[in-house]
Amino acid sequence: MIEVENLTKQYGELAAVADLSFGVARSEVLGLVGPNGAGKTTTLRSLVGIVRPTRGRIRIGGHDLEREPVAAKRLLAFMPDEPHLFDYLTVEEHLRFIARLYQVSDVDSRIPPLLQELELSDKARALPGELSRGMRQKLVIACGLLHDPQVLLFDEPLTGLDPAGIRRMKQTIVERARAGAAVLLSSHLLHLVEEICTRVLIMQHGRMVAIGTLREILASRPDLAGKSLEDVFLALTASPPAPGDGGSGG
Amino acid sequence: MIEAALYLSQRSFVNTLRRRFQRLRQPQYLVGFLIGLGYFYWFFIRPGASRASLVPNPELRWAIAALGVGATVILTWVFGSAESPFAFQLAETDFVFTAPLTRRAVIQFRMLRGQLPILLSAVLSVLIFSHADLATRVLIRLPSLWLLYFTLQLHAASAALVRASLTEQGVTGVRRRLMTLLVLGVALGGLWWGVRAALPDVVAALNVDPGSALLVLERVLRHGVLGAVTWPFFAVTGPLVASSAREFLLRIPLALGVAAVFYVWVVRSTLAFEEAAVEHANKVARRNESMRRGRSEAPRARPGGTAPIFRLSPHGVPAAAFVWKNVTGALREFRVRTVFLILVVVVAIGIVLGQPGAKGPDLVALLAIALSGVALLFGPLNLRYDLRRDLELLDILKALPLGGAAVVGAEVLGPVLVISGIAMLGWTTAFVASLASDTMRIGLGDRLALLCGAAIVTPPVVTVLFLVQNTAALLFPAWSAIGPERATGFEATGQRIVTFLGTGIALVVAVLPAGIVGGVAAIVAHTLGAGPIATGLTWAIVGAPVLGVECYVAVRMLGPVLERLEPAGVR
Repeated sequence: MIEVENLTKQYGELAAVADLSFGVARSEVLGLVGPNGAGKTTTLRSLVGIVRPTRGRIRIGGHDLEREPVAAKRLLAFMPDEPHLFDYLTVEEHLRFIARLYQVSDVDSRIPPLLQELELSDKARALPGELSRGMRQKLVIACGLLHDPQVLLFDEPLTGLDPAGIRRMKQTIVERARAGAAVLLSSHLLHLVEEICTRVLIMQHGRMVAIGTLREILASRPDLAGKSLEDVFLALTASPPAPGDGGSGG
Repeated sequence: MIEAALYLSQRSFVNTLRRRFQRLRQPQYLVGFLIGLGYFYWFFIRPGASRASLVPNPELRWAIAALGVGATVILTWVFGSAESPFAFQLAETDFVFTAPLTRRAVIQFRMLRGQLPILLSAVLSVLIFSHADLATRVLIRLPSLWLLYFTLQLHAASAALVRASLTEQGVTGVRRRLMTLLVLGVALGGLWWGVRAALPDVVAALNVDPGSALLVLERVLRHGVLGAVTWPFFAVTGPLVASSAREFLLRIPLALGVAAVFYVWVVRSTLAFEEAAVEHANKVARRNESMRRGRSEAPRARPGGTAPIFRLSPHGVPAAAFVWKNVTGALREFRVRTVFLILVVVVAIGIVLGQPGAKGPDLVALLAIALSGVALLFGPLNLRYDLRRDLELLDILKALPLGGAAVVGAEVLGPVLVISGIAMLGWTTAFVASLASDTMRIGLGDRLALLCGAAIVTPPVVTVLFLVQNTAALLFPAWSAIGPERATGFEATGQRIVTFLGTGIALVVAVLPAGIVGGVAAIVAHTLGAGPIATGLTWAIVGAPVLGVECYVAVRMLGPVLERLEPAGVR
């Protein structure tokens, strides 16, 4: 569902992402990890069309993001780490707005259970300014899930959620993947990645350091046998940066 | 502490300047900068650009300046905010509030930090409005204007402190602010009494000659009870309107005295400051949570909001969702306070333009036309429910399954519909009121033709006005105020004036092709025997579609600009 070939994003001399290639199949959850400035956020933003790659090719569900952006984006949902909302639309109005943009014809029947699932039913007529950060995060998730996307991109999805919300979020990600969605999840929470991701992509200084299941990565590095993802991550990202490399956001 | 504030101001200024110059490496910013430089030189700096004063009488000029300051003071009390009199930046809140400084020192820190923007605004204002030679500008106008802005800033802070105290503490706040409220009460009573006593003289003079009425107004403002109330306004504006260095030196002590009184007032209000600071810190915390980049204000919650004008169907053109969103947001902007302010401006225009003794229908027609004028003049600048607001959410816009041109067109169309609707309401009301008028000299057919002409021209003109604003935001996002709030305060005065004038020129350039094509058609119609109204209508009928085509082309061209724009370009 997600195909990335030689993705490169340059900011002047700085290569935020360099020659990155990977794919995410249906029902797969790929964890994107890396230290601060590794290029994770830039990668996610490139995949969703927020930033334009300097070089490389991105296909979403077979649609080239550069040539057919509208068709590609129709399959996507991006949940950023910070909940950006229109401050003058209520919770329900946000969902109706998204429904029109994605042509969700049965929005009336979808909204009540979605709000109930995310514990936002009594806030349906509230403006974002009246919501806590966690609630705003839930609203962003509701907006993302409303049109049943086939590709889900999460940037630190658990930020701001309470324990119940965290458990529900993890369930949602796993269930959507089981239903056939391709999920790309960027997080610093390595236990979350270890728990729900089927594969891991480790980045450093804008480049891919390793990709595969934890077992596959360990197989390529016998010296790390028996170690946890955290130990593997720290070992693989311990090298100093090369000149001109490094991401801008994370 | 002073050193820290000065260091922060100096480094912030230098770094901002350096960043702005670095941005000039991008071609559109370089071209914009050069055009802006040429425009500024041509209109304000070149030797031939000096203009004669609109008000040659120095005493009258002083009275008008004092009246302007008086109006600002009243508006500050009526419409000012009880929140955050000291607009600390996020970093300042985090570092200065927690630093080992007294509250007095924190206030002084904020005041010092606020002086550089005020000074820059004063420089711009002096360059724009001064009609004297350069030496006078620098030596007299600049310090005078800086002192005036500083005093007004102190006053605004004082007013906000009183408001915060009254809002948060209720009866205790009233007791604590008793002296201030007493002074305010006496001033208001004096103003009321003085205006009542002076009004007959002014109205009598107005009926004879508006010019003489101004002189009468100037006289009553300087004498008696009204003179006592308006004295501080004359004191703070005195140096600004001084026509010689001697006059300036004679007047500056009084202006400094007024500023000193406000300074003491603000510095002594430490307790109220603490509350306001805590309120501000809470607000900042909310904002910090909600918006990582912290550029916009936290959204003001209004439980339940206002019901949208119509329910958005999930079917139909997807981009229409933006039109719905922006119309909904724009209509929610019209709170009681906004409507009241619009009515005040409309009535003021009606009074200025109205004939003495005008009858009901004529007055209604005049006020309705004034409403349309206000909507057309101020609407596109102030109703920012379009890309100017939404570029802050560029991440969302770019992730949506819509082409750039569709987003640009739909974003602009929302507020265009609102402002065109208000303007058309005004035109139609004026027409209906004219039906009841027995003094109307224009025939019914001609009035109908005027209404039709206005109906044809208003939507494309409003679209052009909004497109000019949105084009500036898209091409020069780093130079534009992106987000819900416009730049406010005295520190933004000069910048706003330049923007306003620049927009006017861009508008003239945009309207020119339609004006020429429509004008040719109008000449042909006139040659064929059409009367003045029919000629004007021809102009509108031919010119409006040309404007429409221009708008369409502009939207198509701006689409790719939005698609290329990245969040880093907006910051």
